[in-house]
Formats: sequence, C-alpha cells, structure tokens
Amino acid sequence: MSTDKKTIKFEIVTPERIVLKEEVLQASVPTQSGEITVLPDHIPLVAILRTGVIELKKISGENEVISVSGGFVEVMKNKIVILADTAELAVELDEARIEEAKKKAEEMKKWKDIDAAQFAEISGLIEKQLARSKAVKRWRNLNNIK
Amino acid sequence: MAKTKEISRRIKSVSNTKKITKAMEMVAAAKMRKAVEAVLKTRTYANLSWETVLHLAKLAEKRDEMSHPLLTKRKEVKKVGLILISSNRGLCGGFNAAVISKVKESIKKHDVDTEIVLVGRKGGILAPQGYHIAAEFEKADLVLSAAETNPIARMATAEYLSGKYDKIMLAYTDFISGVKQEPRVKQLLPVDISAEDQYLGVVGKDEAVGTSKEYIEEKEKKHLQSGEFIYEYAFEPSANEVLDRIVPRLIEVQLYQALLESNASEHSARMTAMHQATEAASDMVSELTLFYNKARQASITAEIAEISAGANALA
Repeated sequence: MSTDKKTIKFEIVTPERIVLKEEVLQASVPTQSGEITVLPDHIPLVAILRTGVIELKKISGENEVISVSGGFVEVMKNKIVILADTAELAVELDEARIEEAKKKAEEMKKWKDIDAAQFAEISGLIEKQLARSKAVKRWRNLNNIK
Repeated sequence: MAKTKEISRRIKSVSNTKKITKAMEMVAAAKMRKAVEAVLKTRTYANLSWETVLHLAKLAEKRDEMSHPLLTKRKEVKKVGLILISSNRGLCGGFNAAVISKVKESIKKHDVDTEIVLVGRKGGILAPQGYHIAAEFEKADLVLSAAETNPIARMATAEYLSGKYDKIMLAYTDFISGVKQEPRVKQLLPVDISAEDQYLGVVGKDEAVGTSKEYIEEKEKKHLQSGEFIYEYAFEPSANEVLDRIVPRLIEVQLYQALLESNASEHSARMTAMHQATEAASDMVSELTLFYNKARQASITAEIAEISAGANALA
C-alpha cells in the first residue's frame, strides 16, 4: 500500500469504552436517512445513527465490521467521530450467543401483558441482535471465513 | 491509682475509634476503586461529546438555520438554576464544604436570583442560610447507569426551555487524582462557547481532548478549513432534528459524568480523611500510653516511698 494515500482518522466511543481508534481509507455508516460512505475530504456532517453495521477499510487493506445501536456521527475533514450508545467489533462477537439472545428477545415479544414502552424496548433489543449477527456475517464474507 | 484508671479508659476508647476509622478507610478505598473505574470508563465519551456540542454551539452563532433554543443565549438572565452535587454522608474531610463554598462564591459573583437543585443530602445546609432550594433529588450510593441522572437532566432542560430559568449551572467536584479533587461550577445551558473560561471546564481531564475556546477554534481550523475556504456542516436529516436529539442527550451525558466524578472524589476524600483520623488516633494512643506508664511509675514510686517510710518509723 502506498503511504501517500489519503486517510481518515476514525474514532468510535461508547459510554463504556473506546471501541476503535484508527486511520482508515473509507467508512460506511448507517444513518437515519440511509447508509453513507465517507471517503477522505468528505464535507463536514452531523447525523443521527441508526442501529446497524459500520464497515471500515483499513490502510492494510483489511476490512473491519462494527455493529452499533444508536448515537451520533460527526464527520469533519478527514476525521470521523462516532458517539454510539453501544458498539462491538464483529471479531469480538460470538454467533451462538447472538442467536440465543435473538430468540429470547423474540419470545419476549410474544408475551401478552406488555405495554408500549416495553414493546419498544424489546423491539430495540431484537434490532440490536439482528445488527450484531449481520455484522458477523458481513465480516466473514469480507474475510472469506466460513 | 485513680489517674491510671482514667488514662487506661481513654486509651481503650481511642483505640476503639481507631478501629472504626480504619474500617471506614478500607470501605472507602474499595468504593473509590469502583468509582474511579467507572469515571475513567466514560470520560472519553463525555469529553468528546462535550467537544462536539461546544463546536456546534459555536457554529450556531453564525448560522440562522442552526439556531436552537438550547444553544441560544438569552439577552437577560433573570433566574439561574444551579444543580449542586454533594454527598449523602459526612466524614469526608472538606469535600462538601469545598463545593458549597464554590457555589456561594459563584452566586455572589453573579448576583442573580438563583435556585438550587440538590443532588445528595449534604447540600441541604444551604437552606437555613437563606438560599432557595427548588428541588432535592435522592442520590443513590452506587451509581450504576445514566438512568440515575436522566430525570434531573430532563427536568433541567424542560425548565430551561419553559423559561423558568435562563441559565443552568452545574456544581460538582472534579476527580483529578486520588489526592486531588477540585470543585467546579460549569455552565450547562445554554451551551455557550464564550462563557467565561471558569465555567467551560472539562469534565475530568484527558490529554487528547480539550474544550477551551482556543482548542475548539483550532479544531475548526484543522478539520474544517482548506486554504481560504471554510466548510459548513451538513445535517442529516435536518439541522433542527439533529440538534433536538443530540443536545439533550449530551446534556444527560454531562450530568452523569459529573455525578461519577463527584462520587469518585467523595470516596477518595473520605479515604484520605479516614486515613488521617486513623493516624491521629495512633498518635494519641502512643501519647496516652506514655502518660499511663509515667503515672503508673509515679504511683509505684509513691507506694515504695510510703512503705519504706513506714518501715523506717517502726525501726
């Protein structure tokens, strides 16, 4: 890889920790009005995040996949800051546990006596698990792991 | 004889006190470890988000479409709401006194009608001193999630928007290190980059993030300018919608972080205070032991003198 290629400073933090801080070539981020891909020299932008999957292309040519739920993204010239409510690297995710959590959340949805707030919470939970499993699958695809 | 008995009773009572303070020191140390861990975990997030908000506030000064009530300074400040984070319990050295005197200083300086919202019981001593208390929130001893502070943040935001207050300040204690804590008063609402430096404070300090006016301006130069051309932020879906979501959320984060900072400070202040108390008790015990031995010796000498005098008289 040539070193003179333009890169973006990418930083993603959650209230619990700094998930990733690295120079990347490009980043795709799910926002409320659709997925955006940020390349170097993108115009400054502030957007609300949607639960979904972030894809990064690292300088080494590797791909990184992160599942996020909720938060904000601030894009500056060659710098991206993501303030996420939760975020996990696909590498860290365990598929078996995600499937289990997804099933559990879907079962909860079937309960009869839940109010609207609980329903919204459970729906959010399912969405989060879906994003996580999507992240794992995407990561495997990109890295040709079966 | 009576004197030695008295002294030995005092030694006993002082060493009992010492046991208690020692135990309290150990409890405070354990709590402090947890609190410090929590505070460090969320610091980066809190600082980065505050940086973002301040930056947005700065941009909003120039762009009409970005004008948002939470970012707009009011022309006349008639009433100020001040959130004071103190501890529930005493025996933590100058922790509460320091933050309370900082509050008094700030109120005196601004000379505006101020209402205080208490978080933690010890701030209550301001009530009999003629300060207005608007509300008192229970503070849990262990803070587990931001759900703890969200009602306070929501109330503050709502009362600012309704016009009851024209400014919301936040008084808390910054955790700098195990031995250093610093009380701070900072302006929460409106988010205003040109508020006096003193009120701009970072929640905690982090090498990589700054929130001073200079830092924000520099950031703008570094990341938003290319030659003479200055970029403008785009918002998705729209400026208003984004600000509506982002600002209240980040105010919640600030308040939560401030509570964590205060908790970490409280526990380390208590640990230090109890450590000093334990040491003072040790000193006192050794001093009293010395007195006790002297008194005991004196009484033995006196007894021997009496006996020998008696023997002499018989001989």
